[in-house]
Amino acid sequence: MSEAQLFEELAKAVYIGDEVKAVELSKKALETGVEPLRAINEGLMKGMSRVGDDFSQLKIYLPEVMLAAEAMKAALAVLEPEALKRGESKVKSRVVIATITGDIHDIGKNIVAMLMRANGFEVYDLGRDVPIDELVNKAEEVKADFICASTLLSTSMPYMEDLIALLKERGIREKYIVMVGGGPVTREWAASIGADGYGDDGDEAVKVAKDLLQRRVTQ
Amino acid sequence: MTSIWEVIDRTETGTYMEETDFDLKVVAKKCKELVKEYDIRYDPKQIITSDDSLADDVFEAGLRLALESGIYCIDTKRVVKFDEYEIKEGIISAPRRLLIGENKDSRILYARGVEDERNPIICGGQAGAAIPEEWYLPMAISYMKEPLVDMINNGGLAVVEGRKVRTKTPLEIQATRRELSMLREAARRAGRPGISFIAAESSVSAMGDLAIASERYMRRTDSHLVALLNELKTDFDRISKVVNFYEYGAHNVTLVDPIIGGYAGGPEGVAVCFVASFLLGRAMYGSDFHVCHPIHFRYMSTSAPECMWNLNVVGQAMARNAPCIIMGDVWTSAGAGSEMVFYETAANTITNVVTGSHPLGVSATNGKYPHATGLETRFMAEIAHAVVRSRLTRKSANSIVVDLVKRYADRQGKPDVGKPFPELYDAAKVIPKPEWNATYLKMKKEIAEMTGLKL
Repeated sequence: MSEAQLFEELAKAVYIGDEVKAVELSKKALETGVEPLRAINEGLMKGMSRVGDDFSQLKIYLPEVMLAAEAMKAALAVLEPEALKRGESKVKSRVVIATITGDIHDIGKNIVAMLMRANGFEVYDLGRDVPIDELVNKAEEVKADFICASTLLSTSMPYMEDLIALLKERGIREKYIVMVGGGPVTREWAASIGADGYGDDGDEAVKVAKDLLQRRVTQ
Repeated sequence: MTSIWEVIDRTETGTYMEETDFDLKVVAKKCKELVKEYDIRYDPKQIITSDDSLADDVFEAGLRLALESGIYCIDTKRVVKFDEYEIKEGIISAPRRLLIGENKDSRILYARGVEDERNPIICGGQAGAAIPEEWYLPMAISYMKEPLVDMINNGGLAVVEGRKVRTKTPLEIQATRRELSMLREAARRAGRPGISFIAAESSVSAMGDLAIASERYMRRTDSHLVALLNELKTDFDRISKVVNFYEYGAHNVTLVDPIIGGYAGGPEGVAVCFVASFLLGRAMYGSDFHVCHPIHFRYMSTSAPECMWNLNVVGQAMARNAPCIIMGDVWTSAGAGSEMVFYETAANTITNVVTGSHPLGVSATNGKYPHATGLETRFMAEIAHAVVRSRLTRKSANSIVVDLVKRYADRQGKPDVGKPFPELYDAAKVIPKPEWNATYLKMKKEIAEMTGLKL
């Protein structure tokens, strides 16, 4: 199997959510001397990128995205340590994400989390109805770049304001890029509370996150 | 009917399961299998379908899903199941007619049939929205003073007495009581003191609901929504709402809003999930009726073609096989003040009325902005009545709806969100401002000419 074929097979294994195949091919890549970072970027990431594209056009649905994300995660567990060992891999941007206090609606947040993972972010998904101090503590613990909060309830939106206030109170606001989203959350409101970013949907959230990260790097 | 006591017992004794397994190995897997087995297909050219066998297949698949999946209780991680006898008992005992409201403002809410020749019940309001306290009252009056509006489902309050309401805090109680107090006041001022409400939208947890089970706030001819969580899930907050209203004696209503693109899959899987949700909602919550709200994973709006196909096929599936009262949401991407809101409202309303549901809306901007007024709901009502007057068949309704969709589908991602209520209405007199009224008249004329409906 040529390198190109191997990458294509890896992408395909991720796309169809075949965890066993993705791991098997990742091991094969290492055994045959393929650079792990290339296997990640030209194989796994390409597969996830197709997943993201097809999901946004409703050609596939959330369960397929979840299976693909699992396959990617399993393959990364094989390739990433080796890439780090060789000094190929950069430290990934870390995201702490949750559905905020009082709200148990988590599908939108799950979609954003998966699309961010698919785009190379290291995502810590804390679940739903998560108190703001838990979000902040986790971000501190894992040295996150992003804190992302979601809600479908207008009555949980004030907790997003509280989140930013808490970061300020603890003197760590500037350490984090804060993004907010969810059904009732609007671009204008996100700006009004001092959030750094907002996405109308998962695709936009990822795009905004990348832009914000780029801006931070170039500053 | 399975008693609520038995339901509560089962949340403690049902099969233990991790939530992700329920999402993927039960809901996602079974929806996919059933869609394939019954060969259920969505066709964007057939938003309103005339194929009875499709509706029957969707029902059959939904019944099987209900029996095989049950409902997952998030708090206990246990699956509450119902057997065929219990599900069918729920179907047989579901109310076909309900008295809602009081005295001269009372109405009979009934189970609509396919191409039903009776006028539907018009439920007006910007359901699901957070409406500013300072204009909640005139906005509510703007719906209630519309003579074609039969009942009300307006949004909730996110701010009360200048304080931002946070979920599960004492302010949730204050907000829910204030919402009901203002709705009562609005009803009095509009001269319709007995008009029926679907209300307590400010009650996100059970706290608000518990606080309004009193004639001062919610009468026994009123209703509240109890959601099924996505997909086929519930929790103790929802069940507490049910228990409270059982005892109090007002109507429990299942709010079902599966996501197209979510765990149930595409439009076809969501249709199957809808039927299962209605059947299980009846068995578990003892719901007297249901709200049908397909969510498009990107646009939210029920006016998206895939969502209207769902309203259509689910409405027909239930009407033909398990007649019950269904209100179909009319949630538009566009806001009041825009022209686009009229196209979306017309398409969505025609779909609902022809295929077995009563229209509920208009929740303009999907409730994201309080950009809504009584006027676009008047238009929704006029369309609904014109559909009945014209004896519109599914076939002719489909060609109209497909045409209407062309006027807005490519703009749903970036809709014209219109303007807030006070910019469109004279809030003191509660009448539309001339510019908004002119837009309404222009669009009414255009859509009447386009559709052939006598508006």
